[in-house]
Amino acid sequence: MTRRRKLSPFVRSQARGSAREGAGHWWRERVTAVALIPLTLWFFASIIAHSGSDYSAVIAWLRMPSSTLMMVLLLIALFYHTALGLQIIIDDYVHSARKVPALIIMRLGCLALAAAGTFAVLRIVIRG
Amino acid sequence: MIIWSSRQLPSFVLMKRFPVPRNFGLNSRSRVEPGRSWPLSGEANRIKTFNIYRYNPDSGRNPTLDRFEVDLDDCGPMVLDALIWIKNKVDPTLAFRFSCREGICGSCAMNIDGTNWLACTRFISETENPTAIYPLPSLRIIKDLVPDLTHLYAQYKAIQPWLHSKTPEPEKERLQSIEERRRLDGYYECILCFCCTSGCPSYWWNGDRFLGPAALLEAWRWLTDSRDEATGERLDRLEEPFRLYGCRTILNCTRTCPKGLNPGKAIAEIKKKVMERRGLGWQE
Amino acid sequence: MRGSTQVKYGPKSPNIQIYRPQLTSVLSIANRISGVVTSVGAVGLVLWLLAAAAGPDTYAFALWLLSFLLGQIGLLIFTFFFFLHLCGGIRHLIWDAVYGFDLSTIYASGWVVVAASVVLTGAAWIVFAVS
Repeated sequence: MTRRRKLSPFVRSQARGSAREGAGHWWRERVTAVALIPLTLWFFASIIAHSGSDYSAVIAWLRMPSSTLMMVLLLIALFYHTALGLQIIIDDYVHSARKVPALIIMRLGCLALAAAGTFAVLRIVIRG
Repeated sequence: MIIWSSRQLPSFVLMKRFPVPRNFGLNSRSRVEPGRSWPLSGEANRIKTFNIYRYNPDSGRNPTLDRFEVDLDDCGPMVLDALIWIKNKVDPTLAFRFSCREGICGSCAMNIDGTNWLACTRFISETENPTAIYPLPSLRIIKDLVPDLTHLYAQYKAIQPWLHSKTPEPEKERLQSIEERRRLDGYYECILCFCCTSGCPSYWWNGDRFLGPAALLEAWRWLTDSRDEATGERLDRLEEPFRLYGCRTILNCTRTCPKGLNPGKAIAEIKKKVMERRGLGWQE
Repeated sequence: MRGSTQVKYGPKSPNIQIYRPQLTSVLSIANRISGVVTSVGAVGLVLWLLAAAAGPDTYAFALWLLSFLLGQIGLLIFTFFFFLHLCGGIRHLIWDAVYGFDLSTIYASGWVVVAASVVLTGAAWIVFAVS
């Protein structure tokens, strides 16, 4: 009976060859990070400027076209950057069969949250 | 506060270790248990205590931490001298690698007081009392302070550390300008001690797929060599979510290199080169 | 063991259990933790927007929840972690352009990140309290 030599984890990973990608994820993480610098600072500045405002003032501010646009861009960039960053974290710490479901749930969760936020903003704009 | 050379010791140590349990995440085979004590017999003016990681594959027991007392007036100034003194005078079964005793062969790399360094270039006076000596982190241990470097050497071989040439061989040397030769400085001096790779947290979690700073530094050495003609193929092999992009720019590697090299910078240069060939660089 | 000298069954040497925390590794894990905290804050942002879209009563309820001391402390902690991630992220972007890799620059920029986060958090909350 022939016995197969047990391959080391390294050999198994090398035998699969290079995935030839990874630069895309890296680049998109950086682009969203650069986008988030002005967007988050705008958001914080707006929150501070509107401290003590009542509900109608906040709604009026959100209904301004510039605010709406910035808020939607902020939600998209924020949750895209979050998804990329959390993917790195799951890559680092989860190695078992739980990894793929974790990645899927995380990605869909970020998508759902971005959609919910955008929906809320649009509802405010349309409904008032 | 500011460290300007990896040789420099921190002026203050806030935390000796991360606040995790002593045997956090170590499987039952790897848990470190208290070991025996080897006190000094006889008188001595200057005594120093060394807590050294021991593992005997023939004993069937877990690794232990043995406590040795060393007469500093009787042994040389370096940590390696203390280890040799212990082996000569106290316990001849203590196993560790060493060769050149001058910091160029890379054999005596180990974890001294929590940081990776060469035992032959670390002064005993620079260490704490008691000093903790562990083998290089996150590697399979053959015996005592001797780790199994097979995987690390395999990763080094995987980056193909030799000159690839497609053009026919010239009659004499392959010529290189002074600037082109200068691009190799800071990368060819690597002694493959693997202090950097075994000190990288990303390598601890993903060492089977992430190549590690040592192999990637050497990969950059060949990528930046003007005589090498397989840059594209090298980058193809490296461009991978784990092999190259397993680096999270933690920079423990640059902090711990006993030769003062900068693997973090080399890896950043590789990532930049990957971007450049996608058209996302400063120079076209 | 013909052909393989790899030791398969020995113990693994301790890593994070014994490795000394240095500014490099501590700031890196702080950047990761602050990123996770900021993403929790992002969830809070969506909840705040949904509360505003639901009507003035829901919005007032949300603000009432935040007005507790625990809510205020939580906001303060979140602000600090957000600024830590912002400054640490800028430091990472500078590294990605292959600048600032000397050990002295790494350490100096690290302390600047810590100081800037504290200063920005303090400034943001002072301005918020004053206005």
